[in-house]
Amino acid sequence: MVFSSLTFLFGYLPLTLAAYFFSPLRWRNFTLLVVSLFFYGWGEPVYIGIMFLSILIDYTHGMLVERFRARRNVARWFVGQSVVFNLLLLGFFKYWDFFAANLSRLPGISIPELGLPLPLGISFFTFQTMSYTIDVYRNDAPVQRNIVDFGAFVTLFPQLIAGPIVKYKSVAADLKKRSSTAEGFASGACRFTVGLAKKVLLANAAGSLWEACLGAHSGGGLTVVSGWMGLFAFGFQIYFDFSGYSDMAIGLGEMLGFHFSENFDHPYLSASVGEFWRRWHMSLTSWFREYLYFPLGGSRCSTARTLRNLLIVWLCTGFWHGASWNFVLWGLYFGLWLILERFVFRDLLEKTPVWLKHVYTILVVFVGWGIFAMEDMGICGKYLAVCFGGGPLWRAADGYRLRSYAVVLALLVLGSTNLAADLWKRLPQRAAKVLTPALMLLGLTVCTAYLVDGSYNPFLYFRF
Amino acid sequence: MTKAYGRFLAAIFCVFLVGLLAWHIVQPDRERSETENRRLAQTPEFSWETLVSGKFTKAVEEYFADQFPLRDQWTGLKARTEQTLGQREFHGVYLCGETLISKVAPPEDDQAAKNLSYVSRFAAAADVPVYLGLIPSAAEIWKEKLPAGAESWNQEAFLQEAAEIDGITGTIDFHTPLAAHKEELIFYRTDHHWTSLGAFYGANAVLAELNSLPLLAREDYTPETVSEAFHGTLYSTSGVHWLEPDTMEFWVKPDGLTVTSWRSGKAEASELYVRSYLEKKDKYSAFLGGNQPLCVIENENGQGKLLVIRDSYSDALAPFLAERFREVHLLDLRHYRLSAAEYVRENGIDAVAVVYSVPNFITDKNLVLLTR
Repeated sequence: MVFSSLTFLFGYLPLTLAAYFFSPLRWRNFTLLVVSLFFYGWGEPVYIGIMFLSILIDYTHGMLVERFRARRNVARWFVGQSVVFNLLLLGFFKYWDFFAANLSRLPGISIPELGLPLPLGISFFTFQTMSYTIDVYRNDAPVQRNIVDFGAFVTLFPQLIAGPIVKYKSVAADLKKRSSTAEGFASGACRFTVGLAKKVLLANAAGSLWEACLGAHSGGGLTVVSGWMGLFAFGFQIYFDFSGYSDMAIGLGEMLGFHFSENFDHPYLSASVGEFWRRWHMSLTSWFREYLYFPLGGSRCSTARTLRNLLIVWLCTGFWHGASWNFVLWGLYFGLWLILERFVFRDLLEKTPVWLKHVYTILVVFVGWGIFAMEDMGICGKYLAVCFGGGPLWRAADGYRLRSYAVVLALLVLGSTNLAADLWKRLPQRAAKVLTPALMLLGLTVCTAYLVDGSYNPFLYFRF
Repeated sequence: MTKAYGRFLAAIFCVFLVGLLAWHIVQPDRERSETENRRLAQTPEFSWETLVSGKFTKAVEEYFADQFPLRDQWTGLKARTEQTLGQREFHGVYLCGETLISKVAPPEDDQAAKNLSYVSRFAAAADVPVYLGLIPSAAEIWKEKLPAGAESWNQEAFLQEAAEIDGITGTIDFHTPLAAHKEELIFYRTDHHWTSLGAFYGANAVLAELNSLPLLAREDYTPETVSEAFHGTLYSTSGVHWLEPDTMEFWVKPDGLTVTSWRSGKAEASELYVRSYLEKKDKYSAFLGGNQPLCVIENENGQGKLLVIRDSYSDALAPFLAERFREVHLLDLRHYRLSAAEYVRENGIDAVAVVYSVPNFITDKNLVLLTR
C-alpha cells in the first residue's frame, strides 16, 4: 500500500489510528505490529513471511550478541551472521537477476533469471535491522528483549517501505515509552498533509513533464531546451516524491508519538556536491558513513586508502539505488566529483563566488539525474549529448510545454528553497492559526481530487 | 500550540478522513458510471486463493476507487485545478477555448502501414470496386484551434500515403470538404465524432468519388434538434466538465427506410434513430442504436448496393448514404468475424467503401480480418 492512495488515506489510516488510540498503552506496540504487518502484506501477501523471518533472525542475533558480549569473537561472529543474512536477503531479491543476466554473458555460464517481484521496502528494512545488531554489538544501543517491541520497530509502517532509514538507537526510547498528545498529532497531521501535497501535486506533475521530454527524445524531437527541461523535471520529481514521502513518514510517526530524524534539508540549495550529499537522503548517507565508510578507515588513513574507501562507498550507494549498471555509474560519478572536490578543486572552490558554486552544483547534480533516470545507457548518452548542444536548440512544442508547466515549474523551484518556511515563520501568529486549518483542508481536498482522478500515480522510490 | 488548538487541527484531519470513509460505506454501490461509460468494480469476493495471489487486495483497491463518493466531481475539480495552473491537456485531450480536441498519438508497431496493406490486399482480391475513405479527425481539421505548439500526429501526410496504395479503385477525399467548412460545427465540441453536418459533407464526398449518383443538397434538409444536453466522450475522458453541452441533430427522415440489425447473429427489425439513447449519457448511439456487427438500411427508391466497412463515424454517415443507395450494408470488423469477401459475393454488393476515422484506422487491430 502506498500513502498516496485512496485505500490508505480513507481506509487503512482512519481504521489504524482508531485501533491504535483505543488500545491501552501497553498494548500499543502489539497493535502497531499487527497493523504494520497488514500494511506490508497488502501488496504481496506471501512476502509477510520475509518479515517474520527478518524479525526472528535479527531478534535472535541481537540476543546472542548480548549474551556473548564478554567473548568478543563469538559476538563478532553473530553480528557477522546477521549482516550476511540481511545482505543475502537483499542480494537475492534485488540483485539476483542482475548478476544472472550479466554473468550469463560469460561463455560457459548460464544462470536463470527469476523475475521475482521486489519485496516492498527491502532496501530499507534490511539496512535498519542490520544497524540494530551492529549497534548492540558496538554498545550503542540496548538489546531488545521483547519480540513484540522489536517486531514493531522492524515493521513500523510509516517508514517501512521508503524510509527514512531509522536506526534502532534513535527510536529505542520511543519504542519503550512515548507520549501521544493532541499537539503532536496535529503537527504530525500537518506534516503528513504537506508531504502528501508534495507527492501528489508537485512530484506527479514534474513526472509527467519528464515523461513528455523523454517521449520527445524517443520520437527524435529532443532539443537543448527540452533536454534540460526534462532533466530538471526529473530532478524535481524525485526530490518532491522522496522528500514528500519522508514528510509523510515523519508526520505519521509524530502522530503515533515517534520522533524520526529528518531526511532532507533543501538539498538543491547546496553550494558543492559534498554539501548536496549532506542534505539529500541524509539517513542513507549517514548509514553508509557510520556502517561502511568509518569501518573501512574513513579518511583517517593514507590518501590512497581514502580514495579506495570513497570509491567503495559510492559504488555501494549507487548500487543500492537499483540493480542496473546506470546506478553503478551514477554512484561512481558522484564518488568522482567528491574526490575531485576534496583533492583537486579544494582551493579553487574556495575562491569561486557563491552563485557560481550553486550553478556548478546544480549542473553536476542534474546531469547525474539523467544517468539515474535512464537505465539504457545508449539512450542516456544520446539524451545528454543533445543537452550539451548535439541537437536543435528549440522547437515549437517546447514553447507549448513551457507554457503548460510554467506555474508548476515556478512552484517546483520555489518549493525546493526555504522561502515558504521563512515566510511562514514571519506570518503573525494569528494569521498562521487561521491559515493552517484552511490550508490543510485545501491540501487534503485537492490531493483527494488528484488521487481519484489518479491515472498517474507511481511511487518512484519503490524500486529501491 | 495550545492543547485546544491541537485538538482542533487533529479533529479537522480526522473528520476529513473518517467522514469520507463513512460516506463511502453508507452510500449504496453503483452498478456503472454513465460519465465514464463503463461498469464499476463491485465488492470483491474473498477467497484464500485470491488473497495469496495478491488479486484480492488489488480488487479491493479498485472497488474502493471506483465506488468513491462524488467520483465525477473530484475528477472535475482536478481538471479545474490543472487548468488554473496553465495546463491545456487533460488525459490526452486538448482544451481549446470552448472545444475539446483529442490528441492523436503516432501509431505503434507499424499498425497504420499494416492496415493499409490489408485494405490493398482485400481490394486486389475483390471483384467489385473498393474505395478507401479516411476521415481526418478534429485534431487535423481544427488544428488552428490547438494550443500553440501542441503536438498531434500529422494526419495529412498519412492521407497522402493512403491515397497512393495499390489495388483500390479510388480514395474518398473527406479532407477537402471538411477543411473547406472548418468554420462550421462539423465535429462535436465534447465528443470525438463528427456532427450530422460533418457527416453530410462526408456523404457527398462518398457520392462524388463513386460518381454514379446525384449529390445531396443542403436545402432539402430541415435538421431536427433532438438534444441540447450532449456530453460526449471527450467530456468524460478529460474531466473538463464546465463546457456547454453539444447540440445533436437528426437530418435524414426515417420514412421509407427499412433498417435491419444483426446484433446477435439473426436479423431483427431496427430503426434509423433509437431515441431512447437520447435520454442517456451515450447519446451518439441514437444513430442506428450504436455498435453492432452488421446493419442494413434499405431504400426502395435508391440504386445499387454499397458495403461500408466501418467504425462509429459511419453511424452518423449511413442515414445520408441511405438516401441514395438501394441498400447500405454496414459491417463492423470489431464484431463481425466472418469473411468480408464472402459477404460481398453472397449479397451481390456493387461497391465497397472502407470508411474509418484516421485515429481509429491507425490503431485498429481487426482490419487483418479483411484478408480472410
